[in-house]
Amino acid sequence: MKFQIPIGPQHPALKEPISLRMTVEGEVIRDADIRLGYNHRGLEKLAEEKTWIQNIYLTERICGICSHSHTSCYVQGVERLMELVPPKRGMSIRYLVSELERIHSHLLWLGVAGHEAGFDSFFMYTWRDREVVMDLLELISGNRVHYAMNTIGGVRRDIDDGQKAKILEGIVTLRKRSAYYFHIGANEPSFVGRLAGVGRLTKEQAVSLCAVGPTARASGITRDVRKDDPYAVYDELDFEVGTADSCDVLGRVVVRVKELMESYKICEQILWKLPPGDIAVKAPRKAKPNEAVARYEAPRGENIHYIKSNGSDKPERLKVRAPTLANYPATVEMLKNGFIADIPLIFAAIDPCICCAERTVSLVNIRNGEETVVRLGELRQQAIDRHKNAPPKRNAVWPF
Amino acid sequence: MTDVELTENIKQALGAKALEVTNPDRRRIFVRIAAVDLVAAATILRDGFDCRYLATISGLDKGETFEILYHFASPAANINLRTEILKAAPRIESVTPVIPGAVLYERELQDMFGMVIEHIPDPRPLVVPDDWPAGNYPLRKDWKFERPQEIIPGGKS
Repeated sequence: MKFQIPIGPQHPALKEPISLRMTVEGEVIRDADIRLGYNHRGLEKLAEEKTWIQNIYLTERICGICSHSHTSCYVQGVERLMELVPPKRGMSIRYLVSELERIHSHLLWLGVAGHEAGFDSFFMYTWRDREVVMDLLELISGNRVHYAMNTIGGVRRDIDDGQKAKILEGIVTLRKRSAYYFHIGANEPSFVGRLAGVGRLTKEQAVSLCAVGPTARASGITRDVRKDDPYAVYDELDFEVGTADSCDVLGRVVVRVKELMESYKICEQILWKLPPGDIAVKAPRKAKPNEAVARYEAPRGENIHYIKSNGSDKPERLKVRAPTLANYPATVEMLKNGFIADIPLIFAAIDPCICCAERTVSLVNIRNGEETVVRLGELRQQAIDRHKNAPPKRNAVWPF
Repeated sequence: MTDVELTENIKQALGAKALEVTNPDRRRIFVRIAAVDLVAAATILRDGFDCRYLATISGLDKGETFEILYHFASPAANINLRTEILKAAPRIESVTPVIPGAVLYERELQDMFGMVIEHIPDPRPLVVPDDWPAGNYPLRKDWKFERPQEIIPGGKS
């Protein structure tokens, strides 16, 4: 007998609330169906009515976690359209903020993963450390969420020597703490056992479904725009693309941990060789007819903007593709043949927003239409209880 | 492989299908093809140039025609297939047999431009609401949003 479980669409903290309908057989998910559009804001249409500068602030509001990613991607494209060459110092500051944003996003996500797996001390520690990087972002930009750092042709705020020293100090603290907690995480058999083998996505599936970011890299694909298509400062930096071959949630944790360590390295490199000079060049008000494709590696994967200008001060077309959309087809595959108890964990593994808030899940029995409403918190508790007495997977190890 | 070599290779591999191949910027290649050659060209790119990753599909309203851009990405470059279809008969073949991950982007094109994607495995609306009036395609240039007049039940007191 098969049941269908609708999940969502009321996901208040997620930028794109989604509705998932799971067809289950007992505890096992046989099929999943995704419905989107509950928060479609018509942003691409709106962008056609706003000027080049106004659109920076519009794209910033696409997402509350990777706000800097969208503006960076957009201004990269507009700079190509207008054939501007932003000064080196401006570029360094822009991508310094990008890496700090990646650190805050990954720390947030790791906390969520720990929380969903029932390892709440991990969650509290990583979120405490996230405050360090949030304070650094506030120090640089004055804001914690929408940094408003980018402008066409550079950045809006400079950093001085005092700020530079504070950022370097903060990175030392973060690196030390991260290394210690990840040592604990890697040596905690129940945590590793809970994540191993959950939400499997083979390399072939990840390739054919066009997965991006840590989701793709955890399935053994070395796809990172910073390496494949190095924009601005990235071709001068020394870093590696973190990958894992385990194709499961554990792999996604490992990839993000590796990326954190690489981001600390990148931040230090940028700060050590921060060139003197201007931070921005003056941009024209209008752009001649042209087109550009801008690619950017956001914390969750590749961001791509296609921008076309028509000679006026407004874009003819701005197409935005956020990384989460690219990962939905892969999520369906991950959920298939998993357990209901793993839904929160698998969701959390692609997107850090989705499990921030308590939500309701209703379990519908199609035969008699009986409906039970479970809060996601209770579903999580059920998941933890289910795995509490399960024998630890002896063969599951942290793949260092 | 440099951009120039890659551009030449694409020209040769696509032969008469490639109407125009340009390389306006570093690692950006634009290929213009006829709409009927879409699936064949996508197959050639996938098998010959490692373009198994389709980043997204952009639609564009050009008045009489729709322009559709398929943004492929290989480790070497970003290759964009550009094709045009008539607005009066906006039909195009689905690329999902070649790139299964394209389905969401094709559904978005259907919702936003009213294109008909032939042989799409899942033709349901993606982003528009269930009660969206038929024939409204927001990203067409002639579509304007008019905010419905707000009516306060019982009137203002």
